[in-house]
Amino acid sequence: MRSRKRGNSVWPRGPAGGGSALSRREVLAGGIGGGALLAFPDLSSGARTGISGHGAARYAFIYGTPDPGEVPSGSLAAAMYPPPRTAATRPVPVATKLAGAPVSSPDQAVTALATVDMVHGGAKITLTLLDATGATVAKQGSVTVTGVPGDAHVLVTPVFAPGSAIVSLVLAITVPVSKHLVRKGHPHTGHPVPRVATTWRTHHALAYFNQRSGAMSGPFHLSDEPSLALSTAAANSSDLLLWTTREPQPDDPAAIRAQASLSRLSVFPLGSGKARLSTSAPAPWPGGEPVVTLPTGDIARLVRGRHVQVCSARTGEVTELEIPALRPGRAKPSAVTMQARPDGTVFMTKPGSGVAVLADAGDSFRTKTHIQFPVPASPLGAPWSKAVLSPAGETMYVLGPAATGGLCAYHVGSGKLAASYSEGRQYHGLYQLPSGALLAVRPENPRLAFFSADLSPLGTADTNLHVSAIY
Amino acid sequence: MTGYDTAGRIQNTYVSARREFGANPNFWIRYFTPSPAADLFHEAAVAESRGAWDSGGPYVGCISAPRQSRLSGSAAEGHADAQAFAAALLTAYHAVRPLVLPANGQLYCWLDQEYSTSLSISYWSAWASYIADYNFAGLGTYPLYPCLYCAPQSPYPNCSTIAKSRGVNKPVAIWSSTPEPCGSLTRPPRWNAAHCAVIPTKLWQFGEQGVCNLTANVDLDVGAPGFAMATHCFRLKYRP
Repeated sequence: MRSRKRGNSVWPRGPAGGGSALSRREVLAGGIGGGALLAFPDLSSGARTGISGHGAARYAFIYGTPDPGEVPSGSLAAAMYPPPRTAATRPVPVATKLAGAPVSSPDQAVTALATVDMVHGGAKITLTLLDATGATVAKQGSVTVTGVPGDAHVLVTPVFAPGSAIVSLVLAITVPVSKHLVRKGHPHTGHPVPRVATTWRTHHALAYFNQRSGAMSGPFHLSDEPSLALSTAAANSSDLLLWTTREPQPDDPAAIRAQASLSRLSVFPLGSGKARLSTSAPAPWPGGEPVVTLPTGDIARLVRGRHVQVCSARTGEVTELEIPALRPGRAKPSAVTMQARPDGTVFMTKPGSGVAVLADAGDSFRTKTHIQFPVPASPLGAPWSKAVLSPAGETMYVLGPAATGGLCAYHVGSGKLAASYSEGRQYHGLYQLPSGALLAVRPENPRLAFFSADLSPLGTADTNLHVSAIY
Repeated sequence: MTGYDTAGRIQNTYVSARREFGANPNFWIRYFTPSPAADLFHEAAVAESRGAWDSGGPYVGCISAPRQSRLSGSAAEGHADAQAFAAALLTAYHAVRPLVLPANGQLYCWLDQEYSTSLSISYWSAWASYIADYNFAGLGTYPLYPCLYCAPQSPYPNCSTIAKSRGVNKPVAIWSSTPEPCGSLTRPPRWNAAHCAVIPTKLWQFGEQGVCNLTANVDLDVGAPGFAMATHCFRLKYRP
């Protein structure tokens, strides 16, 4: 890993320098990944002076794609909390060429980044934990997967375990197994054109990083080849639950028709490469669906945009429940999100249907509150966070209607509109920072717009990243 | 040639669509894993296919809408999403016996890039390459062709990204989601789809349900002059 490298693919610091704890020398750069990260300090609610560098309580991180021509894929950066509107400050680069999107710990204290470097004899995977209070590297560990060719794809998914210092790494290792000359019809003429086609095979492996000791263990290779690289994983204080899917083989249509056997759920004790439980998993295939760890240690995944599958970490048994308010669909599919809250409730959103639900996970996901709102612009596009719940749970903030843009606030108890703000701009993503400030994302600079909890504009900031997510 | 895309069930949608537009679609475009609404065809492929047959539009096109932040990501992410997409197509193909490949051997496989999503060249190249190289059902004909659904005029990287692609990684076609003048299935607007500089737009989503206040749970699509989208979809030989 070329960490702490002076890279060419980072941006100059903003005009105000940002006041960030990061210097340009501290930018992390992976090898074969995409992705970059920027960081910006959030302010405590009592220090919202709008003056950069004052009273920073924690940083937040921006993940996205740099303007064309800078790096080939996503990046991560840190940005200043917005200074007065007359002196915009740019976020500060943190990392480029990430192997995948970052992952935040349940308490949002640290953010995990994974980078992959092809080294002699294998792939070196490095996990970096960024401390949100200083936007500095808190811990870092590496593991090398030997025997991986240079043109392999290694997908790395960090998984935090609430109540444990162990961070699991789920690795999907896809290697070319053959290259052969084939003939493929030209898209315009249909005439066969010779080309070299590659056949790939995927299996998974696990590694574990101990945040206390800094030790990395693994890799533990799983015997699940051929598998799809996409998987879903979540952990509680003792176990890692991993959903995988066997790759359907072209010469095995009978097995494909028996789809139930294609997906599996395996339960690994944290630190182990041997599953203590492995069983067929109910549809749908894993990959990309929201998943949360419940206070009981069970895992809930939101599937089909309307069903919650609660998986017992002890037995692997799955109970499926429908959330009635999420049932209505439209022609356009919608992003869906799910967030576990400290009080045992779960907040789910389906902006394409204009609905958000607060459900009681301890009571069979009974709907406690159901809020309807006008569908915002780009309900499926990035960032997927279109609605957020205030820390106390009394107010829901959501992007404004497609027709007017802006932001809206709803009273959770009544489901009624409590406030709105619009200057005619369309925002595409909405986050609430730990300070209570809201951060809305828009297409053109200044791409970051900050609001108070009562929807008063606080300021803006420029960034060279097209924002995909905020951490 | 006009048709529908929808995240609703075909069998629950086509009657109301026929009532609203008074005609049958030529094709349906369906969501496949990894994507929201992928469960509809994946878990009920036969019922969906019967719906398409009964609607009078026995052609099923294919789109995948991965979690959109991934499109900004790495080659490994693009490769993984394409692998799952191809596997889902294969699963549907085997699940519905009369579902066959297009006679011209070119099944268009659309990646859904929404208006506010950024596409990285690492992601796109790996996604497109896997699709183009996939030996579908072991036939040896390599019938999958990578295509991109996007809003070409969006300020987010889309056209600029695919302009960097080379060889089989170049999308064969663009499906444009803009502009949206609305219209109907039988009276689509005059061809005016947005386009990228280097890749032709062949399909135009000219009317979204929400924007055009359509009653039926469908979005409206029309092919470019001289382009027949149905010939690049799965075809149902008979009612399953």
